[in-house]
Amino acid sequence: MGSNASIMLQQEDLQNICQQTGFTGKQVQRLYSRFKLLDKRDCGYLTREDLLIIPEVNINPLGERLIDVIMEDYGENNQINFKQFMYLLAKFRQGKIKSSITNYNTRESKLRFLFDMYDRNHDMKIDRTELLDVLKMMVGGNIHEDQIATIADHTIGELDKDGDKSITFEEFCKTLERIDADDKMSMKFLS
Amino acid sequence: MYQNKHSIFLIILLGFIIHKYYCKEQTYEHKPNKPLRFHVAEFNFDHVSDVYAITLWILLGSLAKIGFHLSHRLTEKFPESCLLIILGLIVGGLLYVTHLTEQKAYVLNSDTFFLFLLPPIILEAGYFMPNRPFFDNLGTILLLAIVNTLFNTICIGLTLWGFQFTPLYGGTQFEMLPCLVFAALISAVDPVAVLATFSEIHVNDMLYIVVFGESLLNDAVSVVLYRMFASFANIGQPNIIVMDIVLGCLSFFVVALGGVLIGIIFGVIGCFTTKFTEHTPVLEPLIVLVYAYLAYLTSEMVSVSGILAITFCGMVMKQYVSFNISKKSDATTEYVLKMLSSIMETIIFMFMGLSTVSDSHSWNTGFVFMTILLCLVFRVIGIAIFANIANCWRLLELTRIDMLIMSYGGLRGAIAFALALVLDEAKIARKKEFVTATIAVVFFTVFIQGITIGPLVKLLNVRRKQIEEPTMSAKLTNRMMDHVMTCLEEISGSGGSNSLRDRVRNLDRNYFKRWLLREPPDRKDIKLLQTFKKINTLTAMRVHDTARGLVPSASTATVQQGIPEHHHLRSHSAYGNVSELIAANLPENTVPDLMSYENHEGEHHHNDAEMHHFLDTNLYSARPRAAIHLRNQDETGSSDDGTHARFEKSYHHRDQRYLPTRLERELPHGPKTISKTIHNANRPIGLTNSSPKHTRSPPTTHQQPNPRSRSRSIAAHQHSPIPSGQRTKSISKDSRISPLASTHIENEGTGRTAAERSRPWRHLSITEETGASSSKTANIPLANGNDPNLHHIPLTVADFGGTYTKSPEYMGEYATTTKPEEPSSRPDVRDIFNKQSEDVSEQQDDGSTESITRL
Repeated sequence: MGSNASIMLQQEDLQNICQQTGFTGKQVQRLYSRFKLLDKRDCGYLTREDLLIIPEVNINPLGERLIDVIMEDYGENNQINFKQFMYLLAKFRQGKIKSSITNYNTRESKLRFLFDMYDRNHDMKIDRTELLDVLKMMVGGNIHEDQIATIADHTIGELDKDGDKSITFEEFCKTLERIDADDKMSMKFLS
Repeated sequence: MYQNKHSIFLIILLGFIIHKYYCKEQTYEHKPNKPLRFHVAEFNFDHVSDVYAITLWILLGSLAKIGFHLSHRLTEKFPESCLLIILGLIVGGLLYVTHLTEQKAYVLNSDTFFLFLLPPIILEAGYFMPNRPFFDNLGTILLLAIVNTLFNTICIGLTLWGFQFTPLYGGTQFEMLPCLVFAALISAVDPVAVLATFSEIHVNDMLYIVVFGESLLNDAVSVVLYRMFASFANIGQPNIIVMDIVLGCLSFFVVALGGVLIGIIFGVIGCFTTKFTEHTPVLEPLIVLVYAYLAYLTSEMVSVSGILAITFCGMVMKQYVSFNISKKSDATTEYVLKMLSSIMETIIFMFMGLSTVSDSHSWNTGFVFMTILLCLVFRVIGIAIFANIANCWRLLELTRIDMLIMSYGGLRGAIAFALALVLDEAKIARKKEFVTATIAVVFFTVFIQGITIGPLVKLLNVRRKQIEEPTMSAKLTNRMMDHVMTCLEEISGSGGSNSLRDRVRNLDRNYFKRWLLREPPDRKDIKLLQTFKKINTLTAMRVHDTARGLVPSASTATVQQGIPEHHHLRSHSAYGNVSELIAANLPENTVPDLMSYENHEGEHHHNDAEMHHFLDTNLYSARPRAAIHLRNQDETGSSDDGTHARFEKSYHHRDQRYLPTRLERELPHGPKTISKTIHNANRPIGLTNSSPKHTRSPPTTHQQPNPRSRSRSIAAHQHSPIPSGQRTKSISKDSRISPLASTHIENEGTGRTAAERSRPWRHLSITEETGASSSKTANIPLANGNDPNLHHIPLTVADFGGTYTKSPEYMGEYATTTKPEEPSSRPDVRDIFNKQSEDVSEQQDDGSTESITRL
């Protein structure tokens, strides 16, 4: 299947993608074969269901939210094609060495992705409801809402500097300064 | 109960071993020619001599450590290990001059070292091992520990042997196998030295764990190589057949995996045992220590790597035991471990200095210098090769500077020294040279490298470890990153370590936690909740500091105005938990007095200690207040400012009147109180319940002189030390004006112990509600004095609901947010909580009282 897939990927497309995302040709081909593998119906794009069928994504507490983000922010009409798929993954290339940084995998864009995980209404603010939603996904159903609410209040209190009871992107970045988000939001792409 | 007997038996056994080991030279002789007469007092030094000497050593070590830290300039420049070695050298010199060295207790004996001194240090290292970085870097660590050590041994051994053909050694002959034996012991990086040095320079977690992990895990390799070459030397070079070498390689796997396996088995048994220690909490720390020690001894017995066994035993136990055992036991365990390892480390370094001064040296300049040089050179080469290999799969690549620090941090230490001491002089003729060279290398690495590594780290601008406070957002986002990356890896088909970690986590949650914990985890994310709880505790500590040290004045009050409103939201409705209540009324940027000391290690422990400390200090004021203010409080101030004012005053008021002098004296010194809190271990049960009320209750004493005198009388007659069980009851007795309140207090008090340690969160919910309700009940009779309307209202659960939802502030909280449906769902919440609290309190009633009496 791998060899098949690489033939189907147009040469100029490949170069195009490589240039924009910083992936090497081999990495792109490898990811393309992965893409084709996920694309069971062979229609050139992935749908929500295609992703949800992956067992890990299925049981991951944030799986659905992640797919929301992927589909809404990176794909269109609940579909994501290969190019969009590559732009998405390009965010998670390592950005340690200067030469490997494209405008996709900067620290800011990585943090932005995290921020978008919370901020679903795209007002550039995480408000209490959005935080609560995420918290509920992450801690599961056995904890009482009161407690989750307290956690949410506390978290907002920690981050919120200007007192508007919501977290702006700047505030979000500021508190994550001390976390090595760059490392943690990177993965190794096999080539 | 069975485990109880079991561990008692073990203690007796241990005691017996220690007794036998140390006291076999005891003599009780009577001189026959003197007529027996009665002596008023006898001087009987022989009877205690050995133990006396050991105790004196410990004392000397502790005093030395204390002394060094009195001088900041000294400890800044020199690592503690260097100072201790120098001290040892001085003492050794004195003993040598006075010819006391012949006595057994004054030299480092390798049995003592391996059986008593080493295990606590390694156990501590394993118990406090940062799991996440360790497993993230496991591949690199294993590569370095196994292959690099092997590489070093062979290269150093062969090169050292090769140089005997040059005139460098002055004609002294070294055979090949003894050289390899020596290389095996000298090429292993020493965990004790690494720990001592790296804990002072604070490099980033990754670098630390790579070096330290290597030093821990290379034990298996060095043990195998050492044993293999030593037995080859016994067999004699010409008689070795290929089979021996193959078996030697095979024994590596046995030693390494056997050690790990034994460690894990004992760890699991230990966790399983703590599942049943609910009624004997005093023994919990002992269980941890004894099982770990047993793991070490067992693996030494079957000659597999004891260091690996005790490391893994500690790591396994840490994962589960702390959920099982009570908070106090947890703190005690951690403290005892820290204490033991710190004193053992002190003694080891002191003894190293001490043992250096002896006759059994043979200085061979060429050999010593070659050894030091080769150790350095091959360390650098080895790291350069293997770190580059590791970089092929590492996500975060090791930079050149990292490699430099890694090779420079390859310190040799006491293990090498102890191994050199046990060499058999009959088989290895050059033992004296080897011992001298080992000492030289150890001194070189500890002194030269140890002293310069700190400035080097600064000079090269190595990323330091950040001492971070746990923040909720950080934890949350961290966890989110994990989840997101796992998903994305799976989507992109990379299948990296992230998904492996997830799989391990699932396994852990589904099986291990279920079997090993008293209370199977019914939540998805315990850690997240733990962090939250920790933060709450921390915040409470800080408030306490401000409240004690600088009584919140106008300035802090203004800061409080500045913090976002939601912090006050619940202060009128639902605060039950002390820390939570206080956290809400807290300025975020108060000066964290207590937190400023020694903030790089044992944070967890300090939090616990401070928690106890906090509760302890609040005890004395809380009780009388609970009684008095039940009657005389006026519930007028309902604005936020009012709360602050009340809060301030109550603290102020408490400090002036109820704080016993003993506590006042101890308060400024945070750490001191730790011992006290352990000593008072059974007390907080009684305290926790009363704290919420006294912080909430407005001080009335300034306006009303009458109750004040009454409160004083009650306070006076209750200041006599009462055990905690009675204390709880005394509260309920005092507050019998409202029977419901008293039952709630009781519920909370008894419900706390077990619920708290096994299910911190659910417990929080219980206290939150019971606390809230009890404070409500407290408030209602309090209001009676001023508000006749409230006089005859029967106190029911429904009543709490009434005040709960009616509170204007409460409505305000939700009015500001986008969840208007919340208030309507409240009553259910309360019911659930009440039910829970009742259940729990019923269940725990027997258990907690029993544990109190036993304590």
